[in-house]
Amino acid sequence: MNKILTNKYFLFLLRLILGVVFIYASLDKLYNQEEFSRAIYNYKFFPEIFINIFAIVVPYLEIICGILIITGIYLRGSSLIITLMLFFFIIALTQAYIRGLDISCGCFSLETVSNKSDILQRIIEDILLIIASIIVFIQSIKSKTINNKEKVNE
Amino acid sequence: MNQRNKILKEVLIITLVSLIIGLIVNSVNPKGIPLVRDDSDRFKIDSASVQGSENKQVEKVKTKEGFVKPQNIPVETAKKLFDENVIFIDGREDFEFKEGHIKGAINIPYKEFYPKSPEEKQKMLGDIGKEKTIVSYCGGDDCEISIDNAYEMAKIGYDDVKIYIGGYREWNELGYPVNK
Repeated sequence: MNKILTNKYFLFLLRLILGVVFIYASLDKLYNQEEFSRAIYNYKFFPEIFINIFAIVVPYLEIICGILIITGIYLRGSSLIITLMLFFFIIALTQAYIRGLDISCGCFSLETVSNKSDILQRIIEDILLIIASIIVFIQSIKSKTINNKEKVNE
Repeated sequence: MNQRNKILKEVLIITLVSLIIGLIVNSVNPKGIPLVRDDSDRFKIDSASVQGSENKQVEKVKTKEGFVKPQNIPVETAKKLFDENVIFIDGREDFEFKEGHIKGAINIPYKEFYPKSPEEKQKMLGDIGKEKTIVSYCGGDDCEISIDNAYEMAKIGYDDVKIYIGGYREWNELGYPVNK
């Protein structure tokens, strides 16, 4: 198992998947920020004052981290940011899912995720992605540490 | 510099660059959004609407996207329009609609309506003419799908959409006509 996790091709595949997913996810948000801001608002999760800043910054954070994680530049930083973003997405989706089960007034509307099974699917996808990003993050720290030791030994 | 500081530095640089690019692009983008979201007038009753159905003469406000902005109305106006046989659209889900709704209202669940294409939306609204007055409502004043539904209708060209903010709860409490 450890062999697979440290295999450079496997790690590159994980980075490629994460990068492509994040770049792809950012494009729609970049194109329609107002709708993205609405979608965040509908999650009723973030304080209102931060919603638009979040809607302005997150798509660029996603696209930049997506590019960096594929190219391997700032790998530790970009994989950590991706892990943190996924962590927040999972919390936001989970609370939407739990609250969604209690709907009795029809007051709750999620524009991007239209029903409960969609939310559940998104949560599962994000959990798989966060596992991948944690692996990339840990391995990037380990390989840096090894490189540094090698440099010291030289 | 130890590893933790280096990671922190990378995170800060990436975040700062994203923030700067985001703010610059947003400020020059014609579709840019304000830095702080302002929803304070979302539930506010439009004072011009209080006169009732005569407000057809009230100047229609267009949004920057180019559609006519739906107007929030109080219960008095809603009742007047109801008495004039104006179409009421209930945005709640089917099962909630069946539990009770404003008499004669049509059920267009927002969840089904929103993802559809403009043509399909029009199909859901049937033969309701674009010039017709429509009153959109939902559960009550803490409920937003009346607003969301109204904007979806306005976007496909309905230019006289009202939002009855008080919703079914207020209507029912006042003893106005309902179907149960």
